[in-house]
Amino acid sequence: MQTLRKIPGVSTITIGSGQSKPVIRGLGFNRVSVVQNGIKHEAQQWGNDHGLEIDQYAVEDVQIIKGPASLLYGSDAIGGVIDIRPPQTPAKNTFSGDINLTGETNNELIGVSSSIVARNENWYYRARVTYRDYADYKVPTDRVLYDNYVFELADNRIRNTAGNETNFGLTFGFIGERFKAETSLSNMNGNNGFFANAHGLEVRSSSIDYDASFRDVDLPFHEVNHFKWIQNFQFFRPNSTLQIDFGFQNNERTEQSEPVPHGFMPKPTSSSERVFSKNTYTLNLHNSLENRGVHELSFGFNGEIQNNRIGGWGFLIPSFKRFTAGIFAFDHIRLSEYLHLQGGLRYDIGRVTTDSYVDWFQTPVENSLGILEFQNLQRASDEDLSFGSYSGSVGMSYLKDRTALKFNLGKSFRIPLANELASDGVNYHMYRFERGQLDLEAEESYQFDFEWNQSGEILNFGFSPFVNYFTNFIYLNPTADYYETLQVYAYQQAEVLRYGGEVSFGLTINRSLSLDSSVEYVYAEQLEGPKKGFTLPFNPPLSSLFSLSKSFETGELFRNIRLITDYRITAAQNRIVPPEEKTPGYQLFNLSFLSELNLSNNAEPINLRFKINNLFNTKYFDHTSFYRLIDVPEPARNFSLSITYNF
Amino acid sequence: MKSYNQWSLLLLGFFALALVSCTETEIDEEKPTITVNYSGGFPQTCENLSRGQSYTIKAKVADNLELASYSIEMHHNFDHHTHDDQEDPCELEPITTAVNPFNFSTNNNVPEGLTNFEIEAVVTIPTTIDTGDYHLALSVTDVTGWQARTSVDVKIVE
Repeated sequence: MQTLRKIPGVSTITIGSGQSKPVIRGLGFNRVSVVQNGIKHEAQQWGNDHGLEIDQYAVEDVQIIKGPASLLYGSDAIGGVIDIRPPQTPAKNTFSGDINLTGETNNELIGVSSSIVARNENWYYRARVTYRDYADYKVPTDRVLYDNYVFELADNRIRNTAGNETNFGLTFGFIGERFKAETSLSNMNGNNGFFANAHGLEVRSSSIDYDASFRDVDLPFHEVNHFKWIQNFQFFRPNSTLQIDFGFQNNERTEQSEPVPHGFMPKPTSSSERVFSKNTYTLNLHNSLENRGVHELSFGFNGEIQNNRIGGWGFLIPSFKRFTAGIFAFDHIRLSEYLHLQGGLRYDIGRVTTDSYVDWFQTPVENSLGILEFQNLQRASDEDLSFGSYSGSVGMSYLKDRTALKFNLGKSFRIPLANELASDGVNYHMYRFERGQLDLEAEESYQFDFEWNQSGEILNFGFSPFVNYFTNFIYLNPTADYYETLQVYAYQQAEVLRYGGEVSFGLTINRSLSLDSSVEYVYAEQLEGPKKGFTLPFNPPLSSLFSLSKSFETGELFRNIRLITDYRITAAQNRIVPPEEKTPGYQLFNLSFLSELNLSNNAEPINLRFKINNLFNTKYFDHTSFYRLIDVPEPARNFSLSITYNF
Repeated sequence: MKSYNQWSLLLLGFFALALVSCTETEIDEEKPTITVNYSGGFPQTCENLSRGQSYTIKAKVADNLELASYSIEMHHNFDHHTHDDQEDPCELEPITTAVNPFNFSTNNNVPEGLTNFEIEAVVTIPTTIDTGDYHLALSVTDVTGWQARTSVDVKIVE
């Protein structure tokens, strides 16, 4: 996901070197939908320490929607969509494949990924295997200062952030003149260690000898396994296409940490702190009708059932089931050759049912007679909550020659998550007490987008501002109160105004030299509530990227040589909200060298990509990194080499 | 080049909007502070607390705007799971297993309207609990929701 960062307006929340998840214009977590082959990826994306469980080698074609897109994607697409499209169907009677080797110096990563693709007349298949293994990553400092504590780092390493990832994917399908069917099966398995000196925000010392090996994964760590089965059908008729997508996903995530007593909780007997087990079933129907080349009418249905179970000694959210269903209609009207009009309406219903949960240990509570009694406290109750919401959008686009102009006004929504509704426990990882609110309403957001792109032989220009208004943004508010000596964070809703956008500018200096630049900015302000005047958490700072690309005359051995220098200037983020820290600005250089190695005229060339990230080993902080909260800087200089052989 | 002028106008408008927003309402960006490191502050790091005795925990808290609540927690550190943030490190005893460890926790509001306050809380060490390394954690919030924390290693002795 990190490669998406070069797109203006798109960034990532990183958790160490092995995990990240997308942020679009400052919104992430459950406010960005990640869709793969038409099915929304469903995992524990609300978690601070969760990364996206998708094999990045299997991603070939990504469409990014910056802004609310509930109309077509339903709840959660309130901040935007990362739509991972299926790879192209291979040509008839072909067999091909690739093998990729990657090595990185900073976290001593080794990665290997290989795929094969084949098709006869109508049948085809695609298979991929990926394995990655990495050590603790290095930062350009030998000590971390956090909350008056000093952590000395051995060999500049962020202790216990090693990990590994093993992925399998198999797709087979049939393509005919009027029918296409595709079955995709994939499994992603990852183990990631968490920084050992602070478990989340809590400072910890341990008898584990973390520095004995930089490659092993000790406690605390998490293991995640994501299995996905996607079934796509397409029926083609003259002037009509029907698409049916079915998905089944199983996500198993276990957080393991050294058991310690806390408050009235005695020392647990196992290291299974939290276990999340989730099954998601999805069904999407989408029919598009073409009418004399003027109207293109689409309508459809999305339905999803989730079953979330919990385990482990740490309680944060109860087990819950969630059902959502929506219907939509969308029309694309060609008013003239250049001027198009789009608009649509949607209605969704949602139902969340939570299970009660009672502590496994006893807490002394004063009863009505003033006598201390030992009780197993109830943290969550059986609840049945219903939601309903309209969404819609109207837009206009003008596309002529080298000019593209787009306006869009849309309304999106998001059904509250179980943790927002029914949390009532200690989040040990964040060292705080989190309290949900059962009467939260579905979040609603209105957004106005404008986009202007002008492309030319020498100059390219893009300008895409937006204004976004949430009537009731759900926000985890740090209160002034304590519960059993931990600060209480309570979910609340507040009006929020956000605006910003991106400006990009490209200059083709000559046939071999070009310069691309972009600036992105997001302003966010809570307009009411206990944090009135404050921004939202993880709001990205003003940032710009300059990219100079030079290609060279090709030689015999090395062909299509391209050298790219990226220069990022990011301003300080001084607009923060508790418990965040202000983040100073930084400047960063990355260097890439791309080429094809032509060993033999009879064989396909080998693709080489050599990169140096953080060229000058700059110590800087990323405001949207999970480890920013404990003052851990971003990774030190990294050399990476990637070799791809296509056959 | 006419259309370029229109772009720059739009750009100017966009940044003007961004600038206008900078004249915002005053918000509280300062965390409270907490310290036991003063004469009269109690306990100091590595302090010995005797079983059967009562002690008054004393810490100074301050905030630029208004203090809200504080919490005090004491739990055993027999497994060395955590350590304090005071300047002189406290030598910990060998790791042991807890049998009947002492647990103490309390939280309270700071009286309204104060920017400076001295926490005073009485803790009585029971005679039957395990002796050894303990950890005292103190924290304070301000009305905005900012929190400051500090911690002290102490020992409970006979």
